[in-house]
Amino acid sequence: MLKINNLCAKVGDNEILKGLSLEVKPGELHAIMGPNGSGKSTLAAVLAGRDLYEVTGGSVDLDGIDLLDLEASERAREGVFLAFQYPIEIPGVSNLNFMKAALNGKRAHRGLEPIKAKDFLEKVKECSSLVELDGRLRDRSVNEGFSGGEKKRNEIFQMAMLEPKLAILDETDSGLDIDALRVVSKGVNAMRSPERSFIVITHYQRLLEHIVPDFVHVLSNGKIVKSGGKELALELEEKGYDWLKEPSHDTSNA
Amino acid sequence: MSVFTDNFSATLPPPTRKSERWKYSPIAKLLNKEISISTEAAQGMNGWPESVLPNPVLNLDAYLVVFKNGVFEPTLSDLPVSDGVDCIPFSKMDQSGSLDFTNGYHQKEWIGELNETYRQDGLSLHVHRNVKVDRPIVIHHLTDGNNVASFPKHLIKVDEGGELNVVVWSSASDRSSGMYNGLLEASIGPNALLSLEKVCNEGGKVFHFSHEHIVQERDSKLKMHTFTIKGDWVRNELEIISRGKGTDSVFNGAYLPLGAEHVDNHTTMDHTSSDGTSSELYRGIMYGNSTGVFNGKVFVRPDAQKTNAFQQNTNIVADRGAAINTKPELEIYADDVKCSHGCTVGQFDLDALFYLKSRGIDEKAAKALLVEAFLADVLSSVSSTELCEEIMRLYTERHGW
Repeated sequence: MLKINNLCAKVGDNEILKGLSLEVKPGELHAIMGPNGSGKSTLAAVLAGRDLYEVTGGSVDLDGIDLLDLEASERAREGVFLAFQYPIEIPGVSNLNFMKAALNGKRAHRGLEPIKAKDFLEKVKECSSLVELDGRLRDRSVNEGFSGGEKKRNEIFQMAMLEPKLAILDETDSGLDIDALRVVSKGVNAMRSPERSFIVITHYQRLLEHIVPDFVHVLSNGKIVKSGGKELALELEEKGYDWLKEPSHDTSNA
Repeated sequence: MSVFTDNFSATLPPPTRKSERWKYSPIAKLLNKEISISTEAAQGMNGWPESVLPNPVLNLDAYLVVFKNGVFEPTLSDLPVSDGVDCIPFSKMDQSGSLDFTNGYHQKEWIGELNETYRQDGLSLHVHRNVKVDRPIVIHHLTDGNNVASFPKHLIKVDEGGELNVVVWSSASDRSSGMYNGLLEASIGPNALLSLEKVCNEGGKVFHFSHEHIVQERDSKLKMHTFTIKGDWVRNELEIISRGKGTDSVFNGAYLPLGAEHVDNHTTMDHTSSDGTSSELYRGIMYGNSTGVFNGKVFVRPDAQKTNAFQQNTNIVADRGAAINTKPELEIYADDVKCSHGCTVGQFDLDALFYLKSRGIDEKAAKALLVEAFLADVLSSVSSTELCEEIMRLYTERHGW
């Protein structure tokens, strides 16, 4: 489904991704772990099409489509979804209008009519119950005044509404208490299917107890330095990242 | 001397850029125009252009008072006839019933003197004690023709406990040019309410000057909105004087100029008495090569203790060629007051834009959502949803969202 080949990206003069390769097959869930500053969030943003980052090399192919050639909104319409680490507050835009515009954008792309009001509301009801997002939050402005946990649940609600082909979860567990973590994980697990793939970015093994990955990768200094099964996460939890870090030029010459 | 002043002479000199009030809105181009007052009499629909509807807000159930090039159009108007409301154009009334008050604008400003000297007509609108006018009154001004000038002035008096909603709407057909110089003076009695919406939606190339002067008595309430939808050169001046205790003044505005349009909003809020609140919110998005001015003065005089005054002007400069000059001015002479003000100039929130796009909303639709959100706080206090929807519809149509 997704083939990332030798991807390089920078922001300003700062090279962050330095030849990252990864293949994700339909239905698979890949966890990406790694120390701060290793490029995890950059990878998520580059895949979603944030133009703050400049792609300097490599390719990203989603079911035969060159993702890097598409605008952020077009990528979303092709089935890419990014759950933000820090969801954005947009005062004045109601959550529901936002979702209606998003859903209809996607439908227009597939040559479908705008969704009927009744069908839309049913879908909203179904998806919000999945992450226990109450009506009060649905009707408010996008993320405005939401707690950290509510924002993350709203991300998963949006994911359920948009039914992506590839969902990228950028530190969805950060800032969550145990209960919220359980709710969010339940939502993600309910969304897993043989056609849908996930890339889950996290610092902690804790999330992976709830959302069980097929593969775990360690990202360090802009590259994947180790890959393994779910047991790799446990090993990382125990040993930390230092033993995997690519030596930088200074220390290798020393 | 100039071509313009050959036709319209005044004792006061035209303002120049040396005056702070006119520094960013020079009128040199106006002075080169040969403009005159239309001599055409009222013609009803025969003289009305097809491109503009006589009733600018069709969905709003309102009384309608129509002027074309400054001349009252009786056949297109539907004046209120209810008890306790006197609503008569000056041209139709005998002297005895005429409201007569003035703030002396004609002695201070060239624009005011021109209006005083060359005024054609206007509305005298008097709401008696405790009368709540059942429908809004829409005053529609149309400019239609080449180099025509109009000089209306309206007087509004709402007596104690009365309630009134007035919409002053100015239109111009696309072939039009000239000048609109409109004045409005209002006095809001104790416990009375005046809602006033001023909308400029002028095609063509009209120099639009308007000046509203509003005096509020004890415990009165003002809700004022100034929307510039379209206009080649627009200057909105608003002066509010709180003259009694406990007044409440809400005044908001929005402007989204395109191309080489110019929009200027000058406001003054003068708290002279205690316990008053005022809340001012002006928002603008500058597109293309448009230029804008915001100048908001708030005075809190020595007797105006316990005043609560809020002022904010927020601007988005959407394109490289556009510019806005914004200046808040706060003068406080009382010591127990709460005042805040702020002016910002920025761009579209790129994080918000990316967030919307990442859900499959294209750039244009995403910007439309952000604009709607940006304007929501300005629009939320408009007195009727019909008017609110029509204004949003016109902005949407114009900007192609």
